[in-house]
Amino acid sequence: MKAIIAATVLGVILMFAGLFVKEKKSVASLAVFLLFVLLGVNIWDLVTTAPNETLSFFNNMLRVDRYALWFNTLMTGCTLLYALLVSKEIQRVGSHVAEYFALICFILCGVYMLSTYNNVLILFIGIEILSIPQYILAGSDKRNLKSSEASLKYFLMGAFSTGILLMGITLLYGATGTFNIIQYTFLQSDMLSPMALAGILFLMVAFAFKVSAAPMHMWTPDVYDGAPTPFTAFMATIVKASAFVAFMRLFSVSFGAISSDWMMVLAIITAATLFVGNITAVFQQSVKRMLAYSSIAQAGFMLFAVLAVNATAWQGMMIYAVAYSVATIGMFAVLMKMKDYTYDGFNGLAKKDPMLAAFTTVFLLSLAGIPLTGGFMAKYFVLLAAVEQGKMMWLVIFALFMAAVSAYYYFRVIMAMYFKQGNAELNTEVSATDRFLLAITVLLVIVLGAAPNLILNI
Amino acid sequence: MNFLLLAANQQTPFSYLPVAIQLLVGIGFVVLTIGASQFLGPKRSTADKLINFESGIPSVGNARQPMAIKYFLVAILFVLFDVEVIFFYPYAVNFKELGQEGFWAVIMFVAFFLSGFIYIVKKGALDWED
Repeated sequence: MKAIIAATVLGVILMFAGLFVKEKKSVASLAVFLLFVLLGVNIWDLVTTAPNETLSFFNNMLRVDRYALWFNTLMTGCTLLYALLVSKEIQRVGSHVAEYFALICFILCGVYMLSTYNNVLILFIGIEILSIPQYILAGSDKRNLKSSEASLKYFLMGAFSTGILLMGITLLYGATGTFNIIQYTFLQSDMLSPMALAGILFLMVAFAFKVSAAPMHMWTPDVYDGAPTPFTAFMATIVKASAFVAFMRLFSVSFGAISSDWMMVLAIITAATLFVGNITAVFQQSVKRMLAYSSIAQAGFMLFAVLAVNATAWQGMMIYAVAYSVATIGMFAVLMKMKDYTYDGFNGLAKKDPMLAAFTTVFLLSLAGIPLTGGFMAKYFVLLAAVEQGKMMWLVIFALFMAAVSAYYYFRVIMAMYFKQGNAELNTEVSATDRFLLAITVLLVIVLGAAPNLILNI
Repeated sequence: MNFLLLAANQQTPFSYLPVAIQLLVGIGFVVLTIGASQFLGPKRSTADKLINFESGIPSVGNARQPMAIKYFLVAILFVLFDVEVIFFYPYAVNFKELGQEGFWAVIMFVAFFLSGFIYIVKKGALDWED
């Protein structure tokens, strides 16, 4: 597992770079270069593993398959895109630029562990490695009271939910005598002890917290709103997607055979997430906060992949992770250019900067799930998985209804840009490089929508 | 008491009965003693009794004052190195069995730890005057 080692070492290198390199710009360039290296290492891992080959590392603590490696590569690619798009904004957050990028590298290390774990202890360590840097990043704007509040809130709630996760792991260990997720497959429906059931429920609650599914979503709006926008973009995309892959790995590999025992609980969580996320997003005035609720709503759709427990679900998760990440990173990159984060701040953007407005429209269309964008294919695949499984038709219909609701708040931004009079003020000048990168992001969104098989056939 | 032993020997949720009883006794004791002292104890509240006790002298100022973060930093660093030392104990006991591989693993652990230490020193976390 070269990528895990590489992510750690590169993170440490970046930390030390902060001591010796004082120029913020050169630190950011170094970070982008190191992320390129990390992407290279991931691709190296990918090409040296044959299809259908499964490797295990560290006494079977990690089990690496092609899917996990491909997911890691794509997430690293998204991180690279993210770093290129927002590196200027990250430099503006505070004076510790090297540390911010180092923490992002450490988060990636957690991502790699979460997509390949074969032992629930590695799952625990992975979740900690994923979460702790986020608490710091959320509070990185130290002089801002809201940022500190976000950090503290996230830390307390996160620590609590990790406690629940550990409790679940303990109960499962008590019931089965193992930490290995493959051996959990021997759990049988007709002889499930109350202890094992309680353990599964605890794990589900802990994961629902990490992916911000209702009713464990309360922290999300405050944290996403309070944290500095560049880091919100990272938390809402790559981190959330990898928490979902970990969720799915455990519930499909280990508890897939006994899915009838936990399916109803997760279905209710899904319905609540879709309802709360979409309905509350409608009432928001700030686009940043709307995106926070939209990330809850999107989590509702991703939960379908966990619910469905079949091969299409795995494909759906992959494409949802990438399509959602790319579109949201793009949307946040545009948002960071705006001076005013409210809907009114977008008034008349189409007149002032037609190109930026067009890019924003594509990102929003993708988030709303309009055909020919990545978001449509993502929603299509996860709902297809649920239909193939066939037990949750009421939920699929409810999700379609909620997707229609979601169009309202995404289109409100488009309305503001194109049909409202106003003078949308930009925070900074949008440089030619920014335009080029945004154009690439838009292209990715459209390619994902037109040819999803590019990332599904691996 | 026989039924408790019986309960403990069965591999069912019923075998947690002794734990549940223990829990009830524990909570009951706390509630009982605190509640009893609340109800039975004499109550003569005067203004003097409500102020913080500071060895008999009148209290000065507020107890909630900003503290230098250095104290916290030193405490955290202490915990870190303490944990590092704790990891050495099991290694020292199994030094021979773990052989070369274990040695390099520990070297790697210490190297990561040291790089963290160098980092904080360079960042000036241990500079007391500022």
